[in-house]
Amino acid sequence: MSRLPVADRRTVRRALRDMISRHRRAVGVVLALHSAAAVTGLAPPWLLGTIVDRVTAGAGVATVDRLALAIAGCVLVSALLSRYAQYAGHRFGERAVAELREEFVSRTLGLPVSVVERAGSGDLATRSSVDVSTVGTTVRDVVPTIVIATVQLTLLFGAVFLLHPLLGLAALAGLPSIVAVTRWYLRRASSAYLTEGAAAAELTETLTTTAEGARTVEALRLAEDRIKHGTTRVTTVWRARRATLALRTVFFSVVEASYPLPVAMVLLVGGYLFSRDMVSLGAVVAAALYLQQAIDPMDRLLQWTEQAQRGFASYARLLGVGMVPPEPPGTTASSRGERLVVRGARFSYSDGPDVLHGIDLEVQPGERLAVVGPSGAGKSTLARLLAGIDAPRHGVVSIGGCPVTDLDPAERRRRIALVTQEHHVFIGSVRDNLSFAAPDASDEQMRAALLTVGAEWFAELPDDLDTQLGDGARQLGAAEAQQLALARLVLADPHTLILDEATAALDPSTARRTERALAAVLVGRTVIAIAHRLNTAHDADRVAVLADGRITEIGSHDELVAAGGAYAALWHSWHTRVDER
Amino acid sequence: MRYLWWLVRCQPWRVLRGSLIGTAWMIGLSARPYLIARAVDDGLRERDTQALALWVAAIVVAGVALSYLGIMRHRTMTFIREDAKARSAEVLLRHLSRIGAVLPRRVGAGEVSTIGGSDIDWTAQVLTLTGPGVGAVVAYGVIAVVLWSISPMLALCVLVGVPVVGLIVGPLLRRLEQVESVYRKQQGALTARSGDIVAGLRVLAGVGGRDLFARRYASRSQELRAEGYRVGAVNSWIDAATVAIPGLFLAAVVWLTARMAVTGDVTIGELVAVYGYVATLIVPVWFLLEGSHQLIRGRVAARRIADLLNVTPDDVGGPGRRWPGAVPEARRPDALAAPVGPADLHDPVTGLTVRAGQLTGVAADDPAAAVALADRLGRYVASEVTWAGVPLREVALDEVRARILVADHDSYLFAGTLRDILGAGADDDERISAALRTASAQDVVDALPAGLDTPIDARARTLSGGQRQRLRLARALSSEPEVLILVDPTSAVDAHTEARIAERLRAARAGRTTVVIATSPLLLGRADLVALLSAGRITATGSHADLLDDDPAYRYLVARGSEEAYR
Repeated sequence: MSRLPVADRRTVRRALRDMISRHRRAVGVVLALHSAAAVTGLAPPWLLGTIVDRVTAGAGVATVDRLALAIAGCVLVSALLSRYAQYAGHRFGERAVAELREEFVSRTLGLPVSVVERAGSGDLATRSSVDVSTVGTTVRDVVPTIVIATVQLTLLFGAVFLLHPLLGLAALAGLPSIVAVTRWYLRRASSAYLTEGAAAAELTETLTTTAEGARTVEALRLAEDRIKHGTTRVTTVWRARRATLALRTVFFSVVEASYPLPVAMVLLVGGYLFSRDMVSLGAVVAAALYLQQAIDPMDRLLQWTEQAQRGFASYARLLGVGMVPPEPPGTTASSRGERLVVRGARFSYSDGPDVLHGIDLEVQPGERLAVVGPSGAGKSTLARLLAGIDAPRHGVVSIGGCPVTDLDPAERRRRIALVTQEHHVFIGSVRDNLSFAAPDASDEQMRAALLTVGAEWFAELPDDLDTQLGDGARQLGAAEAQQLALARLVLADPHTLILDEATAALDPSTARRTERALAAVLVGRTVIAIAHRLNTAHDADRVAVLADGRITEIGSHDELVAAGGAYAALWHSWHTRVDER
Repeated sequence: MRYLWWLVRCQPWRVLRGSLIGTAWMIGLSARPYLIARAVDDGLRERDTQALALWVAAIVVAGVALSYLGIMRHRTMTFIREDAKARSAEVLLRHLSRIGAVLPRRVGAGEVSTIGGSDIDWTAQVLTLTGPGVGAVVAYGVIAVVLWSISPMLALCVLVGVPVVGLIVGPLLRRLEQVESVYRKQQGALTARSGDIVAGLRVLAGVGGRDLFARRYASRSQELRAEGYRVGAVNSWIDAATVAIPGLFLAAVVWLTARMAVTGDVTIGELVAVYGYVATLIVPVWFLLEGSHQLIRGRVAARRIADLLNVTPDDVGGPGRRWPGAVPEARRPDALAAPVGPADLHDPVTGLTVRAGQLTGVAADDPAAAVALADRLGRYVASEVTWAGVPLREVALDEVRARILVADHDSYLFAGTLRDILGAGADDDERISAALRTASAQDVVDALPAGLDTPIDARARTLSGGQRQRLRLARALSSEPEVLILVDPTSAVDAHTEARIAERLRAARAGRTTVVIATSPLLLGRADLVALLSAGRITATGSHADLLDDDPAYRYLVARGSEEAYR
């Protein structure tokens, strides 16, 4: 399995710069508004300092009233400004997140199937769920918090500098230890929290699967086993939590112990300056209050850096998907004829040994070919070559004289449909689940397609074609889902169908129902059926027996039975008595 | 509530320590404004360098002490919460493991995952109240006393004012949370869609329609963005209000105090201190507001956990299970003795008799009837099945489970290494490899990177349908039960492999009671005796060959409609 790539730091930074420059104006407005809000937010301590000075100088009640009113005014203006700043920031965040996830999904949809399969869909699923939402939270919540905190801190410290440069220098007293411990913490935090999250998810999964498999637990008497298994999970979670707690213990104690340092230094330096009449008492008080006020944004900033770091990592994984070269557009838009020809096709999965050793095969339009053989013989691989999902390492697979992989992918899928055991029902209405196969199909055509495949359950749906399926709405059973997939085929109307054990995962009676539905779809098309049931082979025009990546026998059912090879032996064990009559 | 109380009672010392440290920390928070005030009053204003140095030193020391208290509080509370979570998880796990087959019918897997994922956390969160909650109340009192010593009038304003501000702002924040949660739900739905697309990529690759899905997703994403704008518009106002209201209150307090400072009722230092106290007081008030909210949510969560713990197993008749069952059933005096050795099983409903030591094939025309038959034979429902004449439901259930195994065709595969999965009943490799050979599943193991030690995820989703089925069969075989009832064991396997399995299964189970419920001629052909289950009754018995010759219904069923060609 080759994993999907992850973007390196430089690429991520460039992508971030691009995003910011695309929204240059919005970012500018947000920063300006936040700065304005923070400046007005600085006024109250300064005004308090002024009150202290004036009162010490013997000012009257009127002065105090005026200054107090000014404080209230500043609070209101600051709140108003920060509201608009936040709103603008929020809009920017929403826009950026929307762009990001749409880009990600369209990239994902453009991925060649072979890449997805080799990487395993789990990786992609994690990126589409965990990473998209992590980046979303980061952009919507974390970045604004960090921006606000940074602006506030800059202004608070700036204000102290303005009061007196020496006070400003004194205010930096706590910084070195905070910076050092933050660096220490960030180097370890992300992986520790990811471990913790994974451990917690595993515990939840253990509980859920134990509940899902309760009957099996009882049947195989696995209770003690499950409890033991779960207890180790609980221990793992406990240990992971202790590890993160240890990190926090160091981080927060150093950070919190550093908070009073600036205040203390400012008071000391301020006392020295005040004794020389270089600053007023009010200025020192205001500086102390500013620094006391700085604790809150500082706290927020530090708490969110770890999250921001994680968002960065998630973003790198999202961008990684875009680094996979998309499925190449075909060189030929169409081909003449429908004759499938395979010549000397060899294939291996990523430098492994050859799975197919020179396959030669011709399928005439309208013919039904069954491919049988033991598992591991390369049947599914052959199906993938025929459908153009993979290209042969050597040799050629062509339709109407044109290599299938040269066809435009959209066109190819319209002509050659591959049906597998997977019958995914998409979240959405019945119509949504059908229309993508044939965007122009009318409602009538959709209903007719469902009827063709014998989907009687359709008549009982409450909202006809608009009935919602999946994700909390109506769940279809395996046979129903497979019928839906077949109805899709009726609508797509491909001239060639490749069935890769389409009914193998169904229980036998469901499989039988589905096979009847399938028969309706097959009429008038070229069909290549990978079969594990011999009656499918028996009904076909020709049967190809695949063993160890080679076609060992090919011919009509009767010919093969008469030839007395492996196929005949199998057939006899299947129908002992019937044949003897 | 009783459940919550139980969680507290499990760790009394820790809870006590938590509340002590929580209290000390909260009170400590108000120390800094006081110390700054003294530094201003005694040191700065008096131009007394020594006093200033003293108070500044006190500020630093207090800061270090406070950070120590803060971190100890955090540690203690984390331990309390983690202890509660671990305890809840273990109790649930034990219960889920023992409750058995009834569970999926009573409780959805989604519910268990909600309980495991968030309810346990919510319940544990309530315990936070025991530390900072207690601390908040005490701290509030202490600040009240200090303020009172400065000015009773001022104290009254602040002590009443802060909670009032809290009560105004609290609901606003809750509203913020609500608006957010609606948005997050929509966001979750959109995430589900992208996951859906990823899961269906192969289907899309097979049939086409990628552009349509990209467009559909984009339009939903735009809807969410518009919703996000709306949420942002509301939230930013609420946010601004939550900042402005306390700010205005603070301004009012400063104004009052400053006027008193003018008249000399309070000192300048006290003016600064009051400013600090008001800011500090917000912390305990917040804790209390937050705590009451957590209590409400936690109680709901705890109720759900308690409800799950109250689910009891089904009654399967006889000296069945009582929950919680303290007395091992085998020792229950009213259980009937099971047959000592292999014995015939008889099901009066269908008339089927399973001969001891033989391989019995059952061909059922209705899969539901086949499953019901297996349920009766394995006593998953109360029934009239007899075992050597003894009513099965009167036998101790433990013994039934130990000796009769029903292997469903969709039995669950848990996550773990392949050895764990297959070793469920056996732990030596020889037994496992014999079972793998019989199930013709060696190639499944060989294809895996680390063989038997390869970790497999739950439901073995990475394997194909046929591979999963063979693993299930191998697992059932490796536990070597006295009676093995297999339901459709090879429906997803190709004919070559099925023929091999049929042959090996017969050899592996030679002399032991085995029932195969299937319609495959390859499997039925190897049975000692085949019974046809038609319309709920056994209508014919005999060897596969005889039934093929004599019974048209049987012939039709196992030849699967390809019969016409042979007329």
